[in-house]
Amino acid sequence: MLASVIGLGAVLLLVFLRMPIAIAMGLVGFVGFMVERGFRGSISMVGRIIIDASQDYGLSVVPLFILMGLFVSRGGLARELYQVSYVFLGHLRGGLAMATICACAGFSAICGSSLATAATMSKVAMPQMRKFGYKDRLSTASIAAGGTLGILIPPSVILVIYGLLTETSIGKLFIAGVVPGLLGVVLYLVAVKWTITRDPESGPAGDRSDWPARWTAIRGVWAILLLFFLVIGGLYGLLDVWPVYLTFSPTEAAGMGATGAFLIALSRGSLTFRTIVHVLTETATTTAALFAVLIGAWIFSNFVNLAGLPEALQAFVQSLGVAPMAVMVMILLIYVILGCVFESLSMLLLTVPIFFPLVTSLGFDPVWFGIIVVVVTEISLITPPVGLNVFVLKGVVGDVSTATIFRGVTPFWVVDIVRLALLVLLPWLVLFLPNSM
Amino acid sequence: MPERDHEFEHAAPRLRQPGFWHYVAVAPTWVAAFVLFVMMGMTFLDVILRSAFDNPLEYATELTRIFMAIIVFASLPMVSWKGQHIIVDLMDPLFSMRAARVRDILIDLICGAALLWPAKRVWDLAERSRDFGDVTEYMGFPQHLIEWFIAAFTAIAAVTFIARGLLRIFAPGRVPG
Repeated sequence: MLASVIGLGAVLLLVFLRMPIAIAMGLVGFVGFMVERGFRGSISMVGRIIIDASQDYGLSVVPLFILMGLFVSRGGLARELYQVSYVFLGHLRGGLAMATICACAGFSAICGSSLATAATMSKVAMPQMRKFGYKDRLSTASIAAGGTLGILIPPSVILVIYGLLTETSIGKLFIAGVVPGLLGVVLYLVAVKWTITRDPESGPAGDRSDWPARWTAIRGVWAILLLFFLVIGGLYGLLDVWPVYLTFSPTEAAGMGATGAFLIALSRGSLTFRTIVHVLTETATTTAALFAVLIGAWIFSNFVNLAGLPEALQAFVQSLGVAPMAVMVMILLIYVILGCVFESLSMLLLTVPIFFPLVTSLGFDPVWFGIIVVVVTEISLITPPVGLNVFVLKGVVGDVSTATIFRGVTPFWVVDIVRLALLVLLPWLVLFLPNSM
Repeated sequence: MPERDHEFEHAAPRLRQPGFWHYVAVAPTWVAAFVLFVMMGMTFLDVILRSAFDNPLEYATELTRIFMAIIVFASLPMVSWKGQHIIVDLMDPLFSMRAARVRDILIDLICGAALLWPAKRVWDLAERSRDFGDVTEYMGFPQHLIEWFIAAFTAIAAVTFIARGLLRIFAPGRVPG
């Protein structure tokens, strides 16, 4: 127990000294393992993990989903998603902010990263909202909050990693993310409405679009909707009917999605050879960085398990004699705090090996816990003072202060807490879809 | 309308032609990119052949595994060179310029040293696979070739980190990332 706590402290120290998280976790895991089992045992463990992790078939889903998201964003499809949301909602007060939320949700359905969703949508939605005189507070907040949906609405890179780490079905995790994701959209729309009610000047109404314009906009996105239906329908088993009989493993769904996104972007003439090469190299380098963290985390979690931290934690919690829900609330609190400091995936990799055995021993569902962890991570992305999405937005937009964005984001943060409470108290909201698979 | 690509915007007015070493440095990343594209196409083809003709690609799973190792490890040196690893920069304001420089030099050198041992170990395991004549189940592809590849590129990543650390000492202006 003491060894693990020292190890955890050492990782945090090295990470704060700007050492890559992957190497900090790997190095501390290696040294810790060596103290317990000697140099030969430890270096053998490290060598085996490096070879096995990089050749894991299940992990091939990661680059393919990243690729799908990048093809969609480079293909300029975010603009069309925004357009279709705009023609239906733009004429309402606060309608452009609402359209932003809906477009973010649509983009999340193709892209598995929150930071990418926020960065992409800010380029599309921000100029429009400025044009119609929206206050920066509302416009930036709606993008920052809407962007967080990226890691919950399937496909989600974080859920893939959680699934692989805990041997939970990735298909079930994806399907379980749908209802909480849609609930997030509805509650964010409520947050926009609330902001508008308090300050009607912050989001004036835009032009009303007629039906021909609406049909044109819908025609612009049918391919994306089809792609989403193909990927998620194939995973869920909806396509296992005459005459296609298609069911996908997560890797196959990701491969189909990436190829589909590539073909859609290609058919629009928005991909040059240079862009394709750029998308592919960006995906490859992102994958390498993610795998480095994954390998480091695996080494670290081997040490933590050897040192008996999960068992010690379980024994400690049992000795306290508190209700499982109280323990869960404590864990969630730790996640919100850590989420303010760590990049989402690293936080997940560092904590899940420690908390997951405890959570399942307390009788919580692994799929439910995965979704809850992601929702908490979403909250931490917009929590002051260090919510990462806010800083991404600040980086793209530039001339708005982070204080303004954080002030605007407050109502969104509040409804996020409401959503978290709902999902914790009513687990069937998460579980009824995956349990029907 | 396609989004504009930031990297290319900055790179547009190139004054100097990239030299031989530039191509040597980026070649592995291009290989990774090409392999990724092939993996995407192969997964697509596999699904189509399986569902439409009940005739999936026999080697798809094994090839995917090999491709993954290539994608990850061929990109690793470039990720290390450009400082694209995932880091936490929250504590940066606490360091003075001089302290930050010393910190970055030490971190790069430690990272490089820390990767040398795993590289050596993976190489040893590869040699063992070669002695045993280990091959993949379906294709009979020699396992040690993949492991050699992983070891070699881990070692290159280690050297890259060390080079970055040394560059920070002798020519700080030229450190990328």
